[in-house]
Amino acid sequence: MSAFLALVVKDVRQLLRDPKTMLMVLLMPIIVMALFVAGYGGGGGEVPIAVVDLDGGKISWQLIDFLRNVGDFRVDYFASTPEKGEMLVKKGKVYATLIIPEGFSEDVLLGRKTRVELIIDSSYAHISELIWEALNAAVQEFQRKVSEKYNTFSITVNKRTVYGPQVTRVENFVPVVMGILLHLVPMSLIAVSISRERERRTFEQLIVTPINSSDIIMSKLLAYALITISDMVVTLWVSVELFNVRVKGSFLDLLIVSSIMLLCSLSLGLLISVVSKNQLQAYQTAIFLFIPSMLFTGFLTPVELLSGEVRLISKLLPLYYFLRTFRNIQLRGWTLYETIYEVEVLAFQTIFFLLLSIKLLKLRVE
Amino acid sequence: MIYAVEATKLTKYFGSFKAVDSIDLKVRKGEIFGLLGPNGAGKTTTIRMILGLLKPSAGTVKVFGVDVAKNRKEVLKITGYMPQRFSLYEDLTTEENLRLFASLYGLKGRDLDERVGELLDEFQLREYRYRLAGKLSGGTKQRLALAVALVHKPRLLIVDEPTAGVDPPIRRYFWEYFRKLRQEGVTILVTTHYMDEAENCDRLALMNRGKIVAHGTPQGIKRLAYGGDIVELYTERRALLYLKSFDGVKTILNKDVKDGVLRVKVLVDDASDRLVPIVKNLEEKGVKVLRANQVFVSLEDAFIKLTVGD
Repeated sequence: MSAFLALVVKDVRQLLRDPKTMLMVLLMPIIVMALFVAGYGGGGGEVPIAVVDLDGGKISWQLIDFLRNVGDFRVDYFASTPEKGEMLVKKGKVYATLIIPEGFSEDVLLGRKTRVELIIDSSYAHISELIWEALNAAVQEFQRKVSEKYNTFSITVNKRTVYGPQVTRVENFVPVVMGILLHLVPMSLIAVSISRERERRTFEQLIVTPINSSDIIMSKLLAYALITISDMVVTLWVSVELFNVRVKGSFLDLLIVSSIMLLCSLSLGLLISVVSKNQLQAYQTAIFLFIPSMLFTGFLTPVELLSGEVRLISKLLPLYYFLRTFRNIQLRGWTLYETIYEVEVLAFQTIFFLLLSIKLLKLRVE
Repeated sequence: MIYAVEATKLTKYFGSFKAVDSIDLKVRKGEIFGLLGPNGAGKTTTIRMILGLLKPSAGTVKVFGVDVAKNRKEVLKITGYMPQRFSLYEDLTTEENLRLFASLYGLKGRDLDERVGELLDEFQLREYRYRLAGKLSGGTKQRLALAVALVHKPRLLIVDEPTAGVDPPIRRYFWEYFRKLRQEGVTILVTTHYMDEAENCDRLALMNRGKIVAHGTPQGIKRLAYGGDIVELYTERRALLYLKSFDGVKTILNKDVKDGVLRVKVLVDDASDRLVPIVKNLEEKGVKVLRANQVFVSLEDAFIKLTVGD
């Protein structure tokens, strides 16, 4: 067996014999998937709102009933005055109060222009946006029904999506889950590998043998890839089989880009490992590096919403390219060839990190 | 002449601290060479520079004529190293450790199997072959570490404090094994802070605060410390009249008389040459000599004498 293979076998053995590592590798994909599915998988919850019905007529009741049946809302309170309705929002009892003005039913029946008022708690930007959109949609839909019934004029907007039907929330989160499992986990796992050898002093015995720094780097890469590749396969399998996530492109293409991402994360982790003085520092660096990845790669917020300077940072981060190519294949059904640019960048980054690691790894103990 | 190890003006700074201060070291082929000194004297730093584990701040090291700075790999191929503290993989078994390092030194196939088998027998490790190295006792760990250092049959074995914190039987085992290796032509460079052990070395270098304060055979170092050998005589008082005039006698160190017998310690240049003539000369003058022997001086005494006022 060559020195290189002997090192691979050694690292695989050590990983398999380390219960903490194995627990992390084996349980991480399942735990992360389970958390996401528990949170986002099923039907959404209901947002509590209040209604101030100053009209009290037939049509206003129909509107309230309609809102109740849309499913996104739960009417918790009926307030008697707009002031009381506003207080409910201010106190945080509800996220919004809908005020139906006096004469609403009459206006609708006579085909006159009318309005409803909405008081929204904007401290939760995401929820207020959701309410705004949903109420608008509900009111529009209600208007359409009413106009049909009473034969008045209305305009409806037909929405047509590409890459539809609507992506479910679980499906949307698969790239994010893969990002965590293919980036954060392998990166932090391998980041401590060399400093651990240093701390346990095995590094000293290792480097008095006639091996090259490339032997150490490449053997660690291969050993950790062999161990963590199970994360990737398990996650993809669980997504498709258990959570019915649709993959529009080819499953093989997904496996290929995921493998390249895995190698890229491991290479970056190795680079961290080479430059870190001890295990703690290596861990911290890995986690610190994950923060910009989380913020600037389309992981949480679309990259297009970021400022120009920050978008330059995005383009340095491997996760940015991975998320793009993964979404292209999973949600858009593109082939590997159609998204080859991102794949090439990932491969280039991997090679760059590896070469730099080999260059920087000094076979010394100082 | 090509030395097994030849260090010239070797210097190492850690920041502004001078750990090793321009030392010259020559280890001859086939000898047991001891680097002796207290903790913190710079011994480990020195051997780490010899192995290329540390980059010297100044100076050069050659191992069998090969410059470590230029061709470290060639040096490592012929050098075995046993670090001060156990540095093997504790989560691998005895045999896995041996096989790993055999592979790293380029052994393959049957050669590897044979060599590992030899070492398992040689160091009585066979019964522990499937045990994790971390679960071995201290002495067995040391034997395994030595086996790993020798897995590629090196010409030079560098051992850092092999006997620190080890039971006396294993200490003796190690020194016997070193002598056996020397017979096979292996050069051994060993560091120790046990002065009594250093007597086992063919030659020594005494280190203190990064400098070599003396080097030579154990005997030579003691001579250097005292300016010669010490001889003790039990004789008649009259001896004092003649002693100083004998060849090789440098000075009389101390004397006392008890029950009419003079006990005198004399410094001579070489006890093995001078002891018999001194006794003979005294007896020719009619002075009776009851007892004459060389005084054993420990290396520790010599070391203290050499470093006092340093």
